[in-house]
Amino acid sequence: MDIKQEYLSAAYPESAKKAAGGNVRAVFANPLAQIALVGVVLALVQFLALGGMISSAFAYALGNTLIYAIVAIGFCLLLGYSGLASLGTAGFIGLGSYVAFYLIEGMGAPYYVALFVTLAVSIALGVIVGFISLRIEGIYLAIMTLALAEIIRSLLMVLKATIKININNIVLFGVNVNEKAVYLLITATFIILMALTSNLIRSPVGRAMLAMKDSTSAAQAMGISLMKYRLLAFVISTIYAAMGGLLYMMYVRNMTTATSTLLTLSTSLNILGAVIIGGAKSLWGTTFGTFIIYGLQSMFLSKIRFFVENPAFITMITGLLIIVVVMFFPGGFAQMLSSLRLWLRRKRVERRIRDYVGNES
Amino acid sequence: MSATRAERRLLEKARRLRIEIGMLEAARELQIEKAAAKKAARSAERARAAGRELAEKSFEKLGADEIRRAITEKRLREENERYAALRKEILLSGYLLSDKDNEALADAHTARLERIRENTAAELSELSNPAQGQLPIPTVDEPEETSSAEAIRARFDEQISQARKRLREVERRLESGAASTERTELEEGLVLSVKELKMYFGGVKAVDGLSFDVREGEIFGLIGPNGAGKTTVFNCITQFYKPTGGKLLFRGRENEVLDLTKEKVHDVILHGIVRTFQNVEVVPELTVLENLLIAGHRQYSSGIAASALHLPKLRREEEIIRRKAEKVLQFMGLTAFSGAYAFGLPYGILKKIEIARTLMCSPRLIILDEPAAGLNDAETAELASLIRRIRDEYRCTILLVEHDMGLVMDVCDRICAISFGKLLAFGTPEEIQTDPNVQQAYLGVEEDDDGTA
Amino acid sequence: MCVTALAAFAVTIIFRTSTTANFAQGAISAFGCYVVADLLNKKGVPVYLGVFGGILVGVAIGVFIDLLVFRKGRHVNELGKQIITMGFVSLFFGGIPLIFGTPERIPFEAFYNTVKAKTSPNFVIPAMGGEIVITKHALICLGITVVILAVLFLLLKFSKWGLGVRATASSEFTAELMGIDTHVITAISWALACGLGVLAAVMYAGGGTSISAGFMTTIQVNAFLACILGGFSTFYGPVIGAVLIPLAASCVGFLANFKGFYGISRWQMVIVYVLLLIAILIKPEGLFGKKTVKKV
Repeated sequence: MDIKQEYLSAAYPESAKKAAGGNVRAVFANPLAQIALVGVVLALVQFLALGGMISSAFAYALGNTLIYAIVAIGFCLLLGYSGLASLGTAGFIGLGSYVAFYLIEGMGAPYYVALFVTLAVSIALGVIVGFISLRIEGIYLAIMTLALAEIIRSLLMVLKATIKININNIVLFGVNVNEKAVYLLITATFIILMALTSNLIRSPVGRAMLAMKDSTSAAQAMGISLMKYRLLAFVISTIYAAMGGLLYMMYVRNMTTATSTLLTLSTSLNILGAVIIGGAKSLWGTTFGTFIIYGLQSMFLSKIRFFVENPAFITMITGLLIIVVVMFFPGGFAQMLSSLRLWLRRKRVERRIRDYVGNES
Repeated sequence: MSATRAERRLLEKARRLRIEIGMLEAARELQIEKAAAKKAARSAERARAAGRELAEKSFEKLGADEIRRAITEKRLREENERYAALRKEILLSGYLLSDKDNEALADAHTARLERIRENTAAELSELSNPAQGQLPIPTVDEPEETSSAEAIRARFDEQISQARKRLREVERRLESGAASTERTELEEGLVLSVKELKMYFGGVKAVDGLSFDVREGEIFGLIGPNGAGKTTVFNCITQFYKPTGGKLLFRGRENEVLDLTKEKVHDVILHGIVRTFQNVEVVPELTVLENLLIAGHRQYSSGIAASALHLPKLRREEEIIRRKAEKVLQFMGLTAFSGAYAFGLPYGILKKIEIARTLMCSPRLIILDEPAAGLNDAETAELASLIRRIRDEYRCTILLVEHDMGLVMDVCDRICAISFGKLLAFGTPEEIQTDPNVQQAYLGVEEDDDGTA
Repeated sequence: MCVTALAAFAVTIIFRTSTTANFAQGAISAFGCYVVADLLNKKGVPVYLGVFGGILVGVAIGVFIDLLVFRKGRHVNELGKQIITMGFVSLFFGGIPLIFGTPERIPFEAFYNTVKAKTSPNFVIPAMGGEIVITKHALICLGITVVILAVLFLLLKFSKWGLGVRATASSEFTAELMGIDTHVITAISWALACGLGVLAAVMYAGGGTSISAGFMTTIQVNAFLACILGGFSTFYGPVIGAVLIPLAASCVGFLANFKGFYGISRWQMVIVYVLLLIAILIKPEGLFGKKTVKKV
């Protein structure tokens, strides 16, 4: 370099400025921007399906999976952040479904009223379970929530044999909704809840929950009230589950309480499995896990003849996948990804150290 | 009688107001600092541009020595930056550096610096410029600015003085209330008084009628053989256990006397009582800085909705508390680890993080549970000076439970020795060392020996 | 009742030795039951041999799971282990139709008929305006359960193996230090639990005429609840819990015989579960559990 130029830049250094390309990357590093982007893509799927470019069965399956993803995000906060295991998810979903159904179909209430009441009921339920969690912990708590789900299931079976709704009666934003509109409603709910959760886990609340999960005594010594955050965790997860139930009721529209698998232990276990294999501390991981458990079959494998003829194989593969992932990657796919990233980073560091030392000797 | 209900409500209000005032003050300083930094950056930029223009015009008149100095310095600086960046990356990636590699890296760095000096000297030996000569310093005319600091100060001072007024009102009511209610007084100068403390687990008397006083600003040691009930005493003070009997009086922030047994375990920290744990309890999934933020949890006044929506209020508070945490990290010499995840950090560092956490809440009484356990001699010596520094810097009282007699005798002003939940001896380190009871308990000279010691 | 007791005992023994709630208990039992049905229906094997074969398969599965998964996955945390057993549920639910053919429900008549042929009519006891029916099948099950549980409790109390199990249950690490081969202990526990599970399933299925992959789920849920009710910290607690739950259900059901309570049988399970919930909230460590003091 020219000595004059070098002197000028040495004596009068320019203040550090960000590279132009960094701005775009910074925007995409923002979690909210990522969520918004995914939301746009999800909405686009429905429009493409309307245009006939994607099969409507695919879009329908996607919407169905997203419902479970909503439930799973709430569960992620409960399990991954607060360290509370629950097997009552199915019951919470079922209650949301039933309350909304009863209000809309049974009492002819408008959608917003149904939504509001469902939220209120699920908050009450969350508070109850939260109080239980203050007395009982660990697997005991899981089994107690299982009992609670059984209570709800028995209740629903007694109250109503079939939950069947005519969605054309529902008016949203002044329009009578149809299946496509419900899909968009699901997407919107998913995106909003995802954004709220993402904010929450990056706030004092998320940190308090992590501290509580790690050591209840240390958390209390730091001034974190177990009652407040356990109740909060359960309230959030029941709200999300109830929202899932409400959307399920509007999307699937027909459910027989005695035979529906939605209300049984298997749903709770599937949600748990989705969160675990995706990575209990990662929202995207959880979403991915839901797609593995619920979406893989309905969206992709249903196109392959072999799996259509032998659906049992898919169940087996899911089971095997869960076993293998948990055995070798207890943190799920998210951990797999982050350990890969860490490995690459260490390789790079190693190379840089070699370069640094190597050029000298 | 200690604080009544109405009084407690007032105290709670006072506490909130104090936090609010603290927040406002911190926000004011932050804003002023930011404005000043912005202004400084602007004028530095102007000066730089003017200087550069001048230097570009009259480069030939500049002294060769000055050019050599500036260029060498710049190249060395760049090299140092590169080295620091590499070091930081190694730290953050968790890459385990062997001693050999570590040395090789440091050697390579020195060699590089040396070579840069040599190369630059050789390269610049043939400069045509005169040997000496400075450029005139350019004059930069500062544009007249209304002092933004004053405006910010005025804006905040208004709010602060209002909050102060409310606080004074609360204090006045507290004082008038104090006169009317009769209550147990804590002797002047004492911060904690343990009276006839009893803690039974079924038939086991872990602590049995223990009494001692801790003075304001002292380093107080609690020692005893294994199973003497030291940790139980801690747990009683911090309300992890509800004592079976006895009194725990504590002087709070408003100079009020609190009966600790009436406090909830997670509210103890509000009065400035914080503790560390024997087995380090740092959240591994969070960074070191975030771990400190957890300890500042009760200083946030924004609720769940603000958290879920990331409202400006939360962001403001977050910024202020983050700065506080950074300052604590600086005090503890942990700044380099700020962004590193706690998972996998060396034990000594984790212990320091635990201590750093206690400093986040304007502590009045710090309880350290065996801080020297697992540390080597050098680290223990460092810990001793750290404990003293904390006491002096944060003007708080430190209660120390420790096995390491060296550390206890070194730092403690007064010591309480207990055995089987009962007081053994009480006094200065010298008195304790010569006390026959203590020697007996530690050396195990027993008459009616049944092997329980 | 007996079925739940056996299943509860099986859950407890695995929980105590491997700190895992085995969610696959029901699925494994169902699988064993299918083997029994297959042996009886297609191969024409005598009943006792068939049941024995089924139990053997159960034992093999138990040992297999312990050896292949739990020994390798020791670094997996408690929750992870439970998820693994959950994975096995899917594996068996998928596997059963693949191995035993696609129809969901297969007949269990061979067993039913053989047992029925040898039984005298049911006992009917009139009581308080209603009547209590005790089937011969139930009596046989009760007999088997009582004998097996008695033998197991004696073994637990007095044999070397029992001592090993109890030691492993209180602390696996310490047990290992004391020279107990915890590997063998856990393997035996798994084998025992899965064998018992199959036996329970066969007894349960014997009362009806057909089985399906998920037919043990309700029993399993009840078994878990029984474990919590009785408390995991003893071996007899869950068994008593398992007796109490159906007993409470029957009592509630019995109320339906009285005036004004006709509708109650619909609410039977709801009432029992709510009672259970209250009982556990009052005594979180279980009816027979011991309180532990939390150390900080």
